Amino acid sequence: MSEPLVLVQGLHKSYRLGKVDLHVLRGVSFGLTEGSFTAVVGASGSGKSTLLHMVGLLDRPDRGKIVFAGRDVTSLPARRRNEIRCRDVGFVFQFYHLLGELNVLENVLLPAKVDSSVFAWARRRGQARRTAMGFLDRLGLRDRLRHRPKELSGGERQRVAVARALMNRPRVLLADEPTGNLDSASGRGILDLLKQSNRRDGQTILMVTHDISLAEQTDKVLALRDGQLSEA
Amino acid sequence: MYKLFLCLRYLRCRVIAYFAILAVALCVAMMLIVVSVMNGFLAKVERAAKGLFGDIVLESRSTEGMGLYDEFIAQVHKNVPEVEAASPFILVPCYLRIPGGNWSQIVQAAGIRLPERAAVTGFAKGLFVQAGGASPTFDPPIAQAIDCLDGQIKFIEAQRASLPGSQGDRTAALELETRLDNALLAHLGAKAILRRAKDRQAAIAESYAKLRAAYAESHGEPTDKTEAAEKQLEELTLAAGWLDPSRHIIMGLGIPGLCFRTDEGKTIRFICPGSKVSLSLIPLGSGLGAAPSLNSKTFTIVDDCQTDVSSIDSGIVYVPFETLQQLNNMAASYSADKPGELAIPARCNQIHIKVRSERTDEQYLETVRAKVERQARDFHDAHPEAMMGDVAVQTWRQRQAVIVGPIEKQRTLTVIMFGIISLVAVVLIFVIFYMIVFQKTKDIGVLKAVGAGSFGVAQIFLAYGAAIGLVGAMVGTVGGYYFVRYINPIQDAVDRWFGFRVWDREFFMFEKIPNEVEVAPALLIVAGAIVAGLLGALIPAWRAARMQPVEALRYE
Repeated sequence: MSEPLVLVQGLHKSYRLGKVDLHVLRGVSFGLTEGSFTAVVGASGSGKSTLLHMVGLLDRPDRGKIVFAGRDVTSLPARRRNEIRCRDVGFVFQFYHLLGELNVLENVLLPAKVDSSVFAWARRRGQARRTAMGFLDRLGLRDRLRHRPKELSGGERQRVAVARALMNRPRVLLADEPTGNLDSASGRGILDLLKQSNRRDGQTILMVTHDISLAEQTDKVLALRDGQLSEA
Repeated sequence: MYKLFLCLRYLRCRVIAYFAILAVALCVAMMLIVVSVMNGFLAKVERAAKGLFGDIVLESRSTEGMGLYDEFIAQVHKNVPEVEAASPFILVPCYLRIPGGNWSQIVQAAGIRLPERAAVTGFAKGLFVQAGGASPTFDPPIAQAIDCLDGQIKFIEAQRASLPGSQGDRTAALELETRLDNALLAHLGAKAILRRAKDRQAAIAESYAKLRAAYAESHGEPTDKTEAAEKQLEELTLAAGWLDPSRHIIMGLGIPGLCFRTDEGKTIRFICPGSKVSLSLIPLGSGLGAAPSLNSKTFTIVDDCQTDVSSIDSGIVYVPFETLQQLNNMAASYSADKPGELAIPARCNQIHIKVRSERTDEQYLETVRAKVERQARDFHDAHPEAMMGDVAVQTWRQRQAVIVGPIEKQRTLTVIMFGIISLVAVVLIFVIFYMIVFQKTKDIGVLKAVGAGSFGVAQIFLAYGAAIGLVGAMVGTVGGYYFVRYINPIQDAVDRWFGFRVWDREFFMFEKIPNEVEVAPALLIVAGAIVAGLLGALIPAWRAARMQPVEALRYE
């Protein structure tokens, strides 16, 4: 068996809410092999998003280890974590989180811009635009390039968010309730997109959802209960 | 790349940024106007003082003045190479009146040597008849004066033609009409005098030739023929009223009652070249006797001078140095016992010196001043009869310290006050940015999620603040520049519409509000605005940088 792309070992995380310590994760361990599509299910507040944020290096665990491509990234300095987030991780959020001042194309290009200096961008601009247009074409947003997020429907916004997450061709895509804010048709469309990306491009995807029916369409389903993860 | 991109995008898309830009622009314009006007005011005081006194002034503390000034000037030229030019000067209070009229005024009579004085001060710059001439004299060509009057007559006629009809303020229009009529009459009268004088020049020349011939015929002895020729010449000369330069006077253009200013700031004369005035003074040159008598003399106006310094233009008239020396009893006197022996040399009140170098800083002038002072001491030791024992040698700044010092302090105080007021812009930017950072919390989370570092996020807001400072500074600089440039027409308009005049030329000494913007203070203000923008954005940017991405994404 090949070594997993992402390996999570004994992850602990607690938050202090007022005077109460809330243990969200209690020794979570799992692995994501390259090209897999894994879903994490659990009730609301079970710690799914927290787990996702830690895998995506947006947050640090209290204890435990995250290994990315064979390298322990748990205690890397912020600068290195930023680089990994920029190049190797893509995020899709429940509430899209598109930047309101930017149009569709600019939102999609944002990760490429974050990854480039002014001079590098001058060289890379054409290629980046072609890549972004390719994604938007595939996602059926070709005619919405100059539209602002507020001019789009929920499903369209989430498709833009997916395009943005894929822009830097990350090794792993993390989706946090990507259909949670959409009607069922749009939700199905987004899931189809993710599946397509996984099957056609071999994109490794970790998706958290509370919708079992969605989770069942992935390769592997993990359930998070009482801060612990088990195979569903 | 994303920092610059987002900074520019936020600048363009966020309406609230325009308020911050407006605040910065107003503060920059305010500072620019205050600094420019105050600096301009100081520069005008400097120019005025130098225009009147030169770079260095040697002044006798005695009313009797100091003698042997030409010898002293020659010694200074010889021993102080930094001195470019020097000229003696007399300044005495006198009573000025128009012969046969009711008008009179106390003014200062300045005895000057022309064109020598033009080399020491900027006297030639503001002359009316001899405008722009490098070597002004007390005897300018009549034709030149006539041309100037013609120009003025045309201008007055144009003003008269443009008077409002039945609309507008009829009382003010009538008053202006009367003034313009009086001015026109004065100009036409003066022009007629000058024309007659010009016509008689040939006759005078002929008469003078006759006189010379009569004297040649009589071998220098007066005869009936010479007397007749002399009488004819005198009559012609008096009628012409122009030909004796020692009785010519250059008026300050601004003496109350002798001119008025139009709304456009043009000065119109009631008395012109060709007219006569009379000067009377109590001669102080030989001390005050038991019963001081009044010395009077009638002069023909040949020109007038505008320095743009109200206190000078409204209170000084210029007459030939030797003439005023006579009038003020400062001419040389000879021993009664030994005829031909000099008892007291001719004297002056002051000697004005121009320093050769382009360097006009106080330190340099002080060095030259010390050298001149040493020369004065040496000269006094060598020539006690010159009465230079009690003279003050000062640079123009030292002499004007009473005026310049308080203005400089006032400028500093004003700049500090307005600087404090401008801190409002910093606070405003801080508040606006704090608000923007709150509004952009989720964006910050997204940026960090896609790999932006804390410093990068901070840079967006710092660049945003600097950009607001820069754009605001540019808008404010342009606005402030044009406000300063047109400050006088603006004041005139405010005065016309609301009857409110900020700049009182009597109080501020100058005719017009200074309207020049200097580059160095303007650049400093622009830099200050950018720093203000950065300072205002600093804490919000720091807060944005410290924001945890997870908290930012969860922020509601």
